[in-house]
Amino acid sequence: MTTYVMRRIIQAIPIVFGISILIFLIVQLAPGDPTDRFRTPRVRPETIANLIRLYGLDRPLPEQYFSWITAFFQVWRVECWGYSLKTGEPVRDMIFGRLPNTALLMGTAEIVTILFAIPIGIVAAVKQYSLLDKVISVFATIGYAIPSFILGIYVMYFGGVVLGWFPLFGMQSLGKSGEPLDIAWHLVLPVTSLAIQSIAGWARYVRTSMLETMHQDYVRTARAKGLAGSRVIGKHALRNALLPVVTLLGLALPSLVAGAVITESIFSYPGIGSLTINSVTANDFPVIYAVGMLVGIFVILGNLLADVLYGLVDPRIKY
Amino acid sequence: MERADLTTPLASGALAGAPAEIDEVDLVPVRTYWQMVRERFMQHRLAVMSLVILAVLIVFSIAVPALTGDAYRRSNLAYVDAGPSLTAPLGYNEIGQNQSVALMKATQNSLIIGFVSVLIIGSIGSLVGSIAGYAGGWVDNLLMRAVDVVLSLPFFFLILIIVAFFGVGDVRVIIIAIGITGWTVAARLVRAEFLRIREADYVQAARALGVGHRRIIVRHMLPSAMAPLVVACALGVADAIITEAALSYLGFGIARPEPSLGNMLNNAREYFYANPERIFYPGILLILLVLCASFLGDGLRDALDPRQKVKA
Repeated sequence: MTTYVMRRIIQAIPIVFGISILIFLIVQLAPGDPTDRFRTPRVRPETIANLIRLYGLDRPLPEQYFSWITAFFQVWRVECWGYSLKTGEPVRDMIFGRLPNTALLMGTAEIVTILFAIPIGIVAAVKQYSLLDKVISVFATIGYAIPSFILGIYVMYFGGVVLGWFPLFGMQSLGKSGEPLDIAWHLVLPVTSLAIQSIAGWARYVRTSMLETMHQDYVRTARAKGLAGSRVIGKHALRNALLPVVTLLGLALPSLVAGAVITESIFSYPGIGSLTINSVTANDFPVIYAVGMLVGIFVILGNLLADVLYGLVDPRIKY
Repeated sequence: MERADLTTPLASGALAGAPAEIDEVDLVPVRTYWQMVRERFMQHRLAVMSLVILAVLIVFSIAVPALTGDAYRRSNLAYVDAGPSLTAPLGYNEIGQNQSVALMKATQNSLIIGFVSVLIIGSIGSLVGSIAGYAGGWVDNLLMRAVDVVLSLPFFFLILIIVAFFGVGDVRVIIIAIGITGWTVAARLVRAEFLRIREADYVQAARALGVGHRRIIVRHMLPSAMAPLVVACALGVADAIITEAALSYLGFGIARPEPSLGNMLNNAREYFYANPERIFYPGILLILLVLCASFLGDGLRDALDPRQKVKA
């Protein structure tokens, strides 16, 4: 187990470097450079030249890459991820300031998803081919196919305009900073729109997995020896059927950090997703670099976690 | 199978006692691969329905803009917020543009972006996948690590960066961005198929006959990988359409007055209270497009590649 984890971590290192080179190259290939916003008729060319030297833009590309990537991993230093070109804030503080918001939003959405998706999937599997199963299946297909921004707008419209019960934007009301109830109130709509889509996906997954398990010999044996149906399903089948679901938990890890770009920006939620959109709009390179690297690293960590978790809960898997 | 059963009584009844196998073999109508594909596809009712709806949408999205010229971008202040009429079944928007014509033009844009970017996805995917699967060894390893790198960054994030840096609002940039980020799944599918058939007898026979590498890849091995590739492409169209709409919604994609389902939706959102029905026109059309493309993909998968059939 330990050797397996070590080997996976060692394998992940080149991929992290690959991601960093990819992000670096995209930004380098892009037309223009960070001094563009100073290039106005009133700024003398010498000033621009000085800026280019100050930023180190005249140095060879490998050298620029090297100084960026070495600074990037020194997270304990304030300047590790550079300063925002837009606000001048340290990028590290900007991201760390928004991380809890995104983790709150995505975490809540994931908990809601699990709470709904697992029972729905089980019911659909147990009552296979029934009317209920078909209804669930239709809703799951549609819910999964609706693009997240359409879902976001429609949820916003029904919850905020037609019903008028929930706030349309943001994370807290003015003058009520940090009241848990107020934040929860603001979370309802974005969480709903995030959860509908993932419930649809997960429920189908749970259903398939449950059906597979229910056709196995040991489940038939449990039935044959006269065990009550609920006990067969709840105790015998369910535990094995939920094994693959554990993998999904690991794979959901990166979204806790990355947030949901589209949903966050629809609801103007102050998380990493809307930070991404804002910095892409403003060509704020340092923020984009940092978010990209962070998300990439967490995707790799999530994959690793999924595999390790699967090995932990399923003793049949040997590394 | 059904037809084989039908012929059995005929064969055994007419020629009792004669060696039945020969006649049976002769009487079974030969069905080509494509006939079987069509038969299996027709059994998939949702896919057939989706194909019909898509065909209707394609015809409308070509015909309406072609017949009305630039009507989709012309605004007439006399018709601001006018209700439905015969020439404008969905009414006019807040600057007097014909909503239904604009919607058809937007569908056209969506479909063009969907198909062209899937063409890029398919080409890059089959190129990378076939080279990796055919060559194996370190080439395979290197290419698959490249796939891992691209997959480690969220698809939409990567596209957002590319579009933001290389030209907001440029359709070509959107198509290329979707194309060069979306090929990974296609590449993996083609590679898996190539690994499976690399040592197959007919490939070895071709090799023994001295056929060149390129010819073996293109003529002998790629056709076998076509089925998963086509399915991935059909599903890719749906993804590409969603991506374009999301980009346009966020203001990075197609910008007004050129209509896109995304920017129409964003615009309609500002009139939530006054004209709520407007958020539903582009939204429902988009959902319809996406659902049809994904059902079509499912149907094609069942038809082209029965081995992959998922038990629903």
